[in-house]
Amino acid sequence: MKKTLVLILVVMLAVTLAACGGSNSKEPAKESNTTGNAANGSKEASPEQEKVEIIITNGKGEIASQWEQAAKDFMAENPNITVVAQSQAVGDTLSILDKLTASGETVTVAMLEPSGVLNKYKDFGIDLSNEKWNEETKDGFKNADGQIVGFPFAIEGFGLVYNKKVVEKAVGGTFDPFSINTRDKLKELLDKIKASGVKYPIAYQTEAWSVSNHYSTQFLNQVEDGSTIVAQLKEGKFDLAGNAVWNGYYDTMDLLASADYNKYGERPLGQYYDDAHLSVGKGESAMLFNGNWAFDSLKAVAGDSFGFIPVPVDNNPDNPLNNKIVAGPTQILVINKDATPAQQEAGKKFLNWLVYEKAGQDFLVNKSQIISAFKNNPNKVTNPLGAAIADAVAQGKTMPFSTNYVTADDWYKIIGPDVQKYIVKKQTREGLAKAIQTYYTSKK
Amino acid sequence: MIAEKSIIKRLGNQLFFTGPTMVLFTVAVLVPFAYGFYLTLMKMTSPVSPLEFSGIANYRSAFNDPQFWDSMWLTVKYVGATIVFVNVIGFALAYLVTSGIRSQNFFRTALFTPNLIGGLVLGYIWQFIFVQSLPMIGEKLGIEVLRLGWLGDELLAFWALVIVTIWQSAGYMMIIFIAGLISVPRDIIEASTIDGANGWQRLVKMTLPLMIPSFVVTVFLTLKNAFMVYDINFALTEGGPYNSTMMVSMHVVQKAFLEVNYGVGQAEAIILFVIVAVVTGLQVYFSKRMEVQA
Repeated sequence: MKKTLVLILVVMLAVTLAACGGSNSKEPAKESNTTGNAANGSKEASPEQEKVEIIITNGKGEIASQWEQAAKDFMAENPNITVVAQSQAVGDTLSILDKLTASGETVTVAMLEPSGVLNKYKDFGIDLSNEKWNEETKDGFKNADGQIVGFPFAIEGFGLVYNKKVVEKAVGGTFDPFSINTRDKLKELLDKIKASGVKYPIAYQTEAWSVSNHYSTQFLNQVEDGSTIVAQLKEGKFDLAGNAVWNGYYDTMDLLASADYNKYGERPLGQYYDDAHLSVGKGESAMLFNGNWAFDSLKAVAGDSFGFIPVPVDNNPDNPLNNKIVAGPTQILVINKDATPAQQEAGKKFLNWLVYEKAGQDFLVNKSQIISAFKNNPNKVTNPLGAAIADAVAQGKTMPFSTNYVTADDWYKIIGPDVQKYIVKKQTREGLAKAIQTYYTSKK
Repeated sequence: MIAEKSIIKRLGNQLFFTGPTMVLFTVAVLVPFAYGFYLTLMKMTSPVSPLEFSGIANYRSAFNDPQFWDSMWLTVKYVGATIVFVNVIGFALAYLVTSGIRSQNFFRTALFTPNLIGGLVLGYIWQFIFVQSLPMIGEKLGIEVLRLGWLGDELLAFWALVIVTIWQSAGYMMIIFIAGLISVPRDIIEASTIDGANGWQRLVKMTLPLMIPSFVVTVFLTLKNAFMVYDINFALTEGGPYNSTMMVSMHVVQKAFLEVNYGVGQAEAIILFVIVAVVTGLQVYFSKRMEVQA
C-alpha cells in the first residue's frame, strides 16, 4: 500500500518535471517557427495584400519606449507594414543589430554610429541619395565614396556644460557662453565662480569615452575635413607632440582636471559620472565636460537652466575653435541591403514618415527630445542643452562632430586608457602622442 | 527492484528521469559549447561575413595577447583573495549563527540576503557607496583612506571588487557551512569534551575534518565564481581606472564584441574554460581525498 503511494507520487513528480522541461525546450522552437512563418507568409502573400514585416533597431536606449510608440504610430498609418521595434539597453556593450543578425534575423532599418557606418558596417546600407528628404537637410551621411547612405537621425554636440544660475551669480548678471573664447578667460571665470563661494567650479568626469572619443578628437577640427589628419596619422606623417592645437587641448584639460578647480582633482579617475552630474545639476559645481545627452543625468531642479561653453584651445580670441561648439549627426539610420525590396521600400517609408508626417516629427523632437537635422521640422526640444545646440546650429556656431572621423570603439578601448593615464600623470604628453601615433601606424 | 528488470527497462527508467534534464543540458550547454569551439577554428570578421577556416590562428593570437594574460593574472590574484576571505568569513559567520546566540535565525536570513541581489544591481549600489558615501564619511570623520573615491586607484579598486564579492557570497557559503556544522555528530563532540578537549581543539581536531565535504563545495563554488566574474566587475569599476581592474571574462567580452574579434575572443574563452576546468578538477580531486569518516 505504502509502496504504491510512493510510486504514484514519484510518477506524478516526474511527469510534472518532464512537462516543465518539455515546454521550456519547445518555446524557442515555437518562436522560430512563427517568425519563419511570418517571413514566408510575407513573401508569398505580397502579391495580394503586400504585408511586410520589418525590424527597426534603435541604438539609443534612453528613447526605447518612444521608439516602440513610433513603430505603433507608424503601423497605425500604414496597416500593411508590421514594424518590430528593438532597442539596445543603455550601457549594453553588445549592439542590438549584431545580436539580431547573429540569431539569423534580418534587420531592415538599423541605427548606427557614424564610425560604424564607415567601418564595421561599410557594406551594410543601400544608396539613399535619391530620397526626397535630402532636400531638407545637409547632413545626409556619406560613405567613403561620397554616396549618401545614412539618414541623419540625431544631431548632438558637446562642450563645457554649465549651470546658468551658478555662473550668472558669479559674474553678476547675464552671461554669454560665447564670451569665453580664450583659455585665460575660462580661468578667470573659474576664479570668479570660486570667489562666489563654489569650492570646486568643475566636476570633471573622466569616463574613457568622454576624455578620449570626445575630448581628445577635438584637435581634428583644426582643418576643415578632419579625415585628412587621420589619413596623415595613418601614414605616420602627422606630429602630434609638435602640433599647437593638439597640445592646446591638453593644456585646457590640465586646467579642467587640476586640483584647484576640479572636485575630484586629488584623484581624478573613478566612477564619477553620476556624482559629477548631480553636483552640477544641484549647483554645487558649475560645469563639466559632456554633451547634450547629459541633461537627464543632471536631475536638475525644475527651472534651472544649462548651456554650453566652447572648449578653449588657446588664448587667441579669433581662433574659430574657441568660438564654436562641436555638433553634428551622431546617430545614423541605414537600410539593410540584404532586406527584401519590399522591406527596403517599407524602411524608406519609415524614414519619410520621420521627416514629413506630423506624428513622425513629433516623435523625433517632442517625444524623444532629439535635435532634428531637418529644417522643415517645426518643433523645438525643451531640454535646455539640446536647445543650446539647436541655437548654435541656427547661428552657425558649430564645427563638425570630431568623433565621427575616428573609430569610436578603438578610441574608447585602446586610446582611452592612455588618456586616463595622462590625467593621473602616469603617462607623459609625449607618451600619449606616441600612443596615438602608434595606434594609427600599426592599424593600417 | 530495478536490478531485476531487463536492460531495456532499466535504460527506459533512467531516461525517464534524466532524459528531460539531458535534453535541456544538451540544448543550453553542449551544443553552444561545441559550436563555440567550431567558431574558434574559423576566421570571422563580423557577424554578417562568411566563415573561413583558419586552423589554430585564433589560438595563436590568443596566446600572444599580452592583455589577455595580464587580465588572467589579475583574475588569479582576485581568485586567491576571494577564496580565502569568502570561506573564512563564511565559516566564521556560520559558526557564530550556530553557536546559539540570540535571534540567530534572523541573522541567518539577514546575512544570506545580499546573495539574492543580482550582481549588476549590487555593483551599482556599491559604486554609489564607494564614490559618494564613503568619501563623505571620510571627510566628516577625517579618515584619510576613505576621503577619496576608491574606484580611481588601481589597488583600492581591486580591493573594492574583493570586498563586494565577499559581501555577496559569504552569506551563501555560510548556509552551506551551517548545513555542515549541524550534521557534525553530537556524540563525537561530547566524547572529545569528556576527553578534555577545549573549544579550539574541538573546532580544529573534530569539527573541521568532518566538514571537508562542505569545504569541497564552497571552495569549488568560490573558485568557479571568481574565475568567471563579470557582472560585479562591469557594474562596479568597468575595468577602470585605465583597464587596471579588467578581469579575464571582461577582456574576452571586449575582445569578441567591442574589438569585433569573435574568433580570438572565443578562443580566449575556451582557454579560460580549460584553465578553470583543470583547476577546479584538481581541487575537487585532492580535497575529496582529505575527507574522513566519522
